[in-house]
This record gives sequence, C-alpha cells and structure tokens, in this order.
Amino acid sequence: MSIELKNEFGQIDISNDVVGQIAGGAAIECYGIVGMATKHQIRDGLTDILRKENFSKGVLVRQNGEDLHIDMYIVISYGTKVSEVAYQVQSKVKYTLNKTLGLAVKSVNIYVQGVRVTNP
Amino acid sequence: MKSLDGIQFAEMVKMGAHHLFQNADYVDALNVFPVPDGDTGTNMNLSMSSGSKETEAHAVAHIGKTAQALSKGLLMGARGNSGVILSQLFRGFGKDVETKSTLSAKDFAHAFQHGVDMAYKAVMKPVEGTILTVAKDSAKKAIEVAEHEDNIIVVMEELLKEAKASLERTPDLLPVLKEVGVVDSGGQGLVYVYEGFIAAMKGEKLPEKTSSYSMDDLVSAEHHKKIQGFMDTADIEFGYCTEFMVKFMPEKVAENPFNEHDFREGLSQFGDSLLVISDDEIAKVHIHSEQPGNCLGYGQKFGDLIKIKIDNMRQQHSEIVGDDYKKDVLTSVPVKKHPYAIVTVAMGEGISDLLKSVGASAVIVGGQTMNPSTEDIVKAIESIGAEKVLILPNNKNIIMAAQQAAEVIGIEAAVVPTKSVPEGLAAILAFNPEATVEDNKTTMTEAYAHVKTGQITFAVRDTSIDGVEIQKDDYMAISQGKIILASPSLVDVSKSLFHDLVDEDAEIITIIYGEDVTETEAKELAAFVEEKYSHADVEVYNGKQPLYPYIISVE
Repeated sequence: MSIELKNEFGQIDISNDVVGQIAGGAAIECYGIVGMATKHQIRDGLTDILRKENFSKGVLVRQNGEDLHIDMYIVISYGTKVSEVAYQVQSKVKYTLNKTLGLAVKSVNIYVQGVRVTNP
Repeated sequence: MKSLDGIQFAEMVKMGAHHLFQNADYVDALNVFPVPDGDTGTNMNLSMSSGSKETEAHAVAHIGKTAQALSKGLLMGARGNSGVILSQLFRGFGKDVETKSTLSAKDFAHAFQHGVDMAYKAVMKPVEGTILTVAKDSAKKAIEVAEHEDNIIVVMEELLKEAKASLERTPDLLPVLKEVGVVDSGGQGLVYVYEGFIAAMKGEKLPEKTSSYSMDDLVSAEHHKKIQGFMDTADIEFGYCTEFMVKFMPEKVAENPFNEHDFREGLSQFGDSLLVISDDEIAKVHIHSEQPGNCLGYGQKFGDLIKIKIDNMRQQHSEIVGDDYKKDVLTSVPVKKHPYAIVTVAMGEGISDLLKSVGASAVIVGGQTMNPSTEDIVKAIESIGAEKVLILPNNKNIIMAAQQAAEVIGIEAAVVPTKSVPEGLAAILAFNPEATVEDNKTTMTEAYAHVKTGQITFAVRDTSIDGVEIQKDDYMAISQGKIILASPSLVDVSKSLFHDLVDEDAEIITIIYGEDVTETEAKELAAFVEEKYSHADVEVYNGKQPLYPYIISVE
C-alpha cells in the first residue's frame, strides 16, 4: 500500500509506513501526549507505549479511492483536557502531512488507548 | 507584601485574564507554531477567562481553595495547545498550595516551579522555545530570588522580567520563529498573564491595549501562514503583497473622518491577509490584493501615501518552488556515496536487502561459517568512501575483527556489538545521521537490548550441548544463544522456540526464513504464530539465508 503522486517528471510513491512515521512523529510533539499505543486490545489495563521506530504500529493509514484516512492510537497525560489534546493532534497531523508530503488527509481519527498518571 | 491570600490571588487572576483578553489579537497574529492557524490568542483567552470566572465564583481567603478553583476552571475551558499547557501550569500550582491558606514568597516561587514540573510531565517531546520554556525559565528565576527575598511583589517582578527575557530568546530555540521573525505566541500570552498579575498586586491599571508591536512582526507572521497554504503558484488568488502608509491630512480627514475599524472594513473588499495599525498621524496597511491600485486609491482618501511597496507573490512563489520559470537541467554532482556509513555482516540475499532497506550502507557476506576478517571489513568501509562509520558484526564471533577494523581504519569508527541479524536491524533503525559516532553507538546499543533472538539450524553431528541431547541432522532451537531443544521435526522445534521467546509483552514477532524453507511453510508457521500470539504483530521476510531455516526476533 502506498500513495502515488504524479507529476511531469514521473511518479512518486510514498509508502504508508512513511505516512505513519511522519504522523506519529508529529503527534508526539503535541502537548498532552505521552506516547503512541498499539492498535491491539489493551492487555491487563496497561497500554504499552511504543518506541520511536514503531510509531507506525500505532498509526493506521487507510486509502479509500482518492481519500486518505488516518487512525491514531494514543496515550495521554492524566489531568489534561482529553478532547482538546485529541483535537490538537488531529490538526497537527493534518498540517504536518500536508506540509511535508503535500497530502490532503480526509480524516484523522483519534483513539485514546490509555491515560498515564504522573506524580511530580 | 509578605503573604498572599486567596482573595488577592483571585484579583491577580482576573487582571491577568483581562490583560490577555486585551491583547489576544496580537497573540493570534504571532501564531506560527505548532500550526500557523492564528488562534493561539483566542484559545488562551478562552481558557484563561474560563479559569478566571471559576476563580471569581469561588474566591475565598484560603489560597489553596482559590487556586483549586482556577485549576478546575482552566481544565474545563482549556482550548488549544497553549490553553492545555496553561491549565497544566496552574494545575501544578494549585496542587502545590492545596493545603496552604496564605503563601510566603518562597511558597509562591515554589508553586510556579511545581506548575512547570507538572506541565513538562504531560509531554513526550517538549519543544523548547515555546510557552513551556518561558514558564520554566521564569519559575527558576523566582526560586532563586525567593531564596533571599521575602517580598512577593519583588519575586513576581523578577519572574516577569525573566519571562520577558526568555520570550525574547524563543527564536533562538525554535527555528520557525526565527525564520518568520516573531517570538512565540503562547509565551507572549503567558507574559501578558504575568503582567496582569503584577499590576493587580501593585494595584495599578494597565493600558487598555499595548500597541508595542511592529507592523513587520505581523506581516512576516501573516506571510508565513499564507505561504504554507500554497502548493502551487496557480493557487494564489491575491497576487500582490501591498504595503503602504497613509499620513493623514487634516483637510482630507475633515471630509473622511478616519476610523480604524471602518477603514479596515473598506479595504477588506480588495483582498485578504489584511493588517491595519494606526495612531493619530499614520495608518500602516498590509494587504494581499489583486488590485493594488484600488487599495492605494482607497488610502489616498485620508491623506498622503508614504513608503509604498508592492511585490508580485506569484513570481516570488514560483522562484521558491521552482516551477515554470526554471527550466534548467539539473546535473548531478558526484558525492561520496555514504559519508556516514553503517557496515554490517549477514548471510543471505534477502537479509542483505532487508538490512540495506533500513539503512545499512554495505552488507558483508559472512556469518556463522565464514567470518569476515578484519581486512574484509576494512575493505568494505573503504569501498564506500565513508568519513564516519558504525560497524555491526551481527555475530559474536565477528565482534573482535570488527573492533580491530575500527582501530585501523583511520576514520571515525565505532562498533555496535550486535550478535544477530535482528539485533542489527533494531540497532540500524535507531541510527541518527545527525548524531556523533559515539552517541549513535550508545543509542543503537540501547535499541537492541530488548530484542530477543531465536535461531533454528541443524546439527552436523551427534553431541550434547547445554544439557540437550542432539542427533545428527536434528533441528536445533537456539534461544538467545542457548540451545533449548533438538528434534527431527522443524515444525515442533519452531513452535517450542516461539513458546520460549514470546511472552505477553511481545509486540512484534519477525520471522526471517531461509533458503531451506518454502514460502508456503513459512506462511503456515506465521499463521500459527499469529493465531497463538494474537497480541503481537507478525512480520515475515524471505531472508534466503543458508543453514538457518528460521531466524526470529521478538520485541
């Protein structure tokens, strides 16, 4: 699965993994996110936070004809406003993909997989 | 002022919110990060006013309770990145003073510090050069000052001074700010809140609007927002960036009384990205328009035009993106193939391709039965013309040779002592081309620490190793370097190996099958693994390696 862009010089293929990596990288720069989670069911109520090279595991890129949909599985910090953090991730991801790959994303769906409590 | 109670604190919050509200437009205009959508001021203002409302409704003399109210109001009304950060800052502040009825200067400074700690906890990769940095620097200063100062007003003054200084430094930390020539918008918002705090403490009134900002700040931020939106020159709707100043003339203004709001309205019909700043003598205008003449004409109704500048943005843009106007043929300049190289060792064409696909510059053929010599490794490094190199032996018997190669090669080199292909893969994925050889060695070594490797090979003679009886031609399962089982059935051995390696924390299982295994067999095994360990992702590669039907890794 990959995204194809065509111009007069030829064709550019961007693999879905690349899209996933970029989306994941953009997401974790967002305030309130403490990690990306796997799209699997949470086990024992503990969500595993993915390491950097596996961000794409927490990002699902779906193509529907011309449209691009992204599902992201995130873990947020306790005490932040979840709806707002999720919205920030959506806008940051959409913006970053547009800026770096020139891709217009149809939807960015956020699945909050866990909450991390931190005690300063 | 030696102590601060809840009622005074509520006043401070109210003033901070009001001052931010007064300047929200300016904060909006500065907003280019994280997404240049120009809503930071609006969002912060909504967050802060929600906090202020809640504080006002529940203000009591007990500062702990008042701060709780602020924390709750901010959380409920948090909007945008900066709003969420603001809510975390004051959540930490509130938590710290929860049980206190009044605050001393030390308590006050400490509460700010605690707010910063709390805010930094809620982000994975804190971006410096933002509101976080401004909060952090200023809290640190407050702690220092409170060491020897018991007047809370002085502590707050110093805190604000440092916040402003820190805000000025944000462009040095965040490149996009420097590029656009603005300071961070969220940080600016926080400074406004702090300015309100100090004014309330001193019982001063703040000016209704601080017009301290320059047109240039706003224009470059505005341009930055615009430029982002264009992928194609043809998308530019208003092609001329038009800037001019109108110096009011008494006779003209007598006929057309100047009112900033109406003036802005009047100009807005000609284009977008409109900015108007005016005082009693002059109005500065910036607009993107398709009819710059009409804009100038409109301005002339009120006075003389001075300092006119009109740029054709389509031409500028196409120079940036290099279309239409550039038909040069690009010639490629020969460069060193891999100035910063990763050299590794493996058997099997498939594995070699896999290693290259994740970033290996060269893969030396070698492994279990044919260990490359120091010389082989040196030659490989020299053939790719590297200036810096990391060597990954992927086998414990090659580590020595790799280390010697690193010593004699004469360029910056380090060995990442990987003992298997999966470890090598994990290490390469952690490579950072920007980091030094030593730093890469450290991070790459950490990266494969959690990777568990299993291998299946066959016995060449009867023997007994690690307490396992082995017959010639048996398949042997080697888990993390130890033989755990030998049996004539490849399938049984494989299943036992998975059983030994996979636990419930496993996320990713990689199966690399060798030349002795058909694709069908490998797929069957993968299907079994997926079924049995459904919590992990299974990836299958055709490694084409000899001697090892399967190499697997679990991480």
